[in-house]
Amino acid sequence: MTQAIQILIIGLTLGGVFALMASGLTLIFGVMGIVNLAHAAFMVAAAFISFFAYKGLGLDPIASIVLTMPVMFVVGLVVYRLFFARSIDDPKKRSVLVLVTFAMALVIEGTLGFFFSNIYRSTNPPYAYDAFLMGPFYLPKGQFYATLMSALILGALWAMLRFTRLGYAIRATTHNRTAAEVVGVNVDRVSMFVFGIGMALAGASGSMISFLFSFYPGKHWEWVAILLSLVVLGGMGSLLGALIGALSLSVISAFVNSAYGPTWSPVTFYLALFAILLIRPQGLLGKKPEL
Amino acid sequence: MPHLVVKDVVAGYGSGPDILTGLSLDVEEGKSYCIVGPNGAGKSTLLKAICGLVNIRNGTIDFEGETLLGLRADQVLQRGICFVPQDRSLFPDMTVRENLRMGGYILKDRNEVERRIDEVFEMFPILKERASQHAKTMSGGQQQQLLLGRALVLRPKVVMLDEPSLGLAPKVSKQIFDSMNQLKDAGITIIVVEQNARMGLGYCDWGCVLDLGKLVFEGASRTVLDDPRMAELYLGTRRTGSEK
Repeated sequence: MTQAIQILIIGLTLGGVFALMASGLTLIFGVMGIVNLAHAAFMVAAAFISFFAYKGLGLDPIASIVLTMPVMFVVGLVVYRLFFARSIDDPKKRSVLVLVTFAMALVIEGTLGFFFSNIYRSTNPPYAYDAFLMGPFYLPKGQFYATLMSALILGALWAMLRFTRLGYAIRATTHNRTAAEVVGVNVDRVSMFVFGIGMALAGASGSMISFLFSFYPGKHWEWVAILLSLVVLGGMGSLLGALIGALSLSVISAFVNSAYGPTWSPVTFYLALFAILLIRPQGLLGKKPEL
Repeated sequence: MPHLVVKDVVAGYGSGPDILTGLSLDVEEGKSYCIVGPNGAGKSTLLKAICGLVNIRNGTIDFEGETLLGLRADQVLQRGICFVPQDRSLFPDMTVRENLRMGGYILKDRNEVERRIDEVFEMFPILKERASQHAKTMSGGQQQQLLLGRALVLRPKVVMLDEPSLGLAPKVSKQIFDSMNQLKDAGITIIVVEQNARMGLGYCDWGCVLDLGKLVFEGASRTVLDDPRMAELYLGTRRTGSEK
């Protein structure tokens, strides 16, 4: 029983970070209808920023979100204007934009590999190797701080969506793009901001993974497969769904890890992706596609 | 003098064929217009062209002496022209009040939006009762009332409705058209596209018949309804004396 609770603690704390990673991907899909396959590559790029800020400036990786989030937000605005703005309203062109994101992931990976080589890196703040002890249980400090920060960021995102004018516009565009236009929402500008916000969330996620895991330029393929399973399980475009998907799969994965070893742990995500697409393709909270 | 002038408009979707093929129409302030015609005549496209949702390839659209060409939907809205689309385009997971707030999205003053929502509640009391309910849980008629209410938050000069009775029971459709007449009495110009020509023309002042992207004929609603060309358009044949 003690071991089960310990695994649950580990799973839930990692799940919070996974939820942050998946939130940007699902937000962009909700508004723009695009699966951004470059999302994890941007996360890895942000992890490199945190890594060099830590090594060069001594900036704590969690605190480095003050750097990664605004930088990635601006990158998101520029990328949207260059690659998506002219095609997003044309259904025929929109369907091929996923290939643009695939190409983008390859370019980011190649560029990072060219400049920084494909060796494993990780920031090593002292708390990454420490834990809180509570009776028979332990809570890794790094995971706890990362999950706490993830919860704060996701809470701020939820409040923005719920209470601000931009939040209303984002929710309206997610529900019905044409109806949003009809009530006066500039959906092009909303899409641009959402892509920027999604990239900022990828930036924050990159800062967290820089000390939770080791990373290298090609690592994003592994991440994007995991993120897709989280958002497909929750329902593409649903923020709450991404949270539920992240927490549940993370806990299941922790149990698999404990029972069968770390090699089988990622298989949990791929099997879940396979199963959900067979049984309930719209995910737990996603909209059923109209026939 | 007409306050909305559509002249020789050619329009279509993306790189597809022309749907409107040189349509002209004059709309006078404070009157209600019913646009009828067979499927594919370009009725919905006309409304979308006016409100900036379809690219206009040729011709002009002027409102109160200023062109609407090249304006985005939100810019047309700011000039006082509201569009209520065909597909009950509510925001299903938002509450009734949140949907109404979206109606006032282009207004900066939040208190003013709340005041106007209270006015809408006076006109449609059912919306006040359901204010905190999600829009997707309402009946078809209530959703249509919510769409009308959402358009009214802006106090528009022109309201354009695309098939408001679609999928509604006759009794509910009648309520919607009664509400529409209330708006006309308040001085709002109404343009409604309606498949049920008898019902639409029965409620509106003026009828406009479209076919193949052009205005075929127009006139006072009663005369349009009795015009033999209507039967020809809808049934593909002229009515005979005995059929009358």
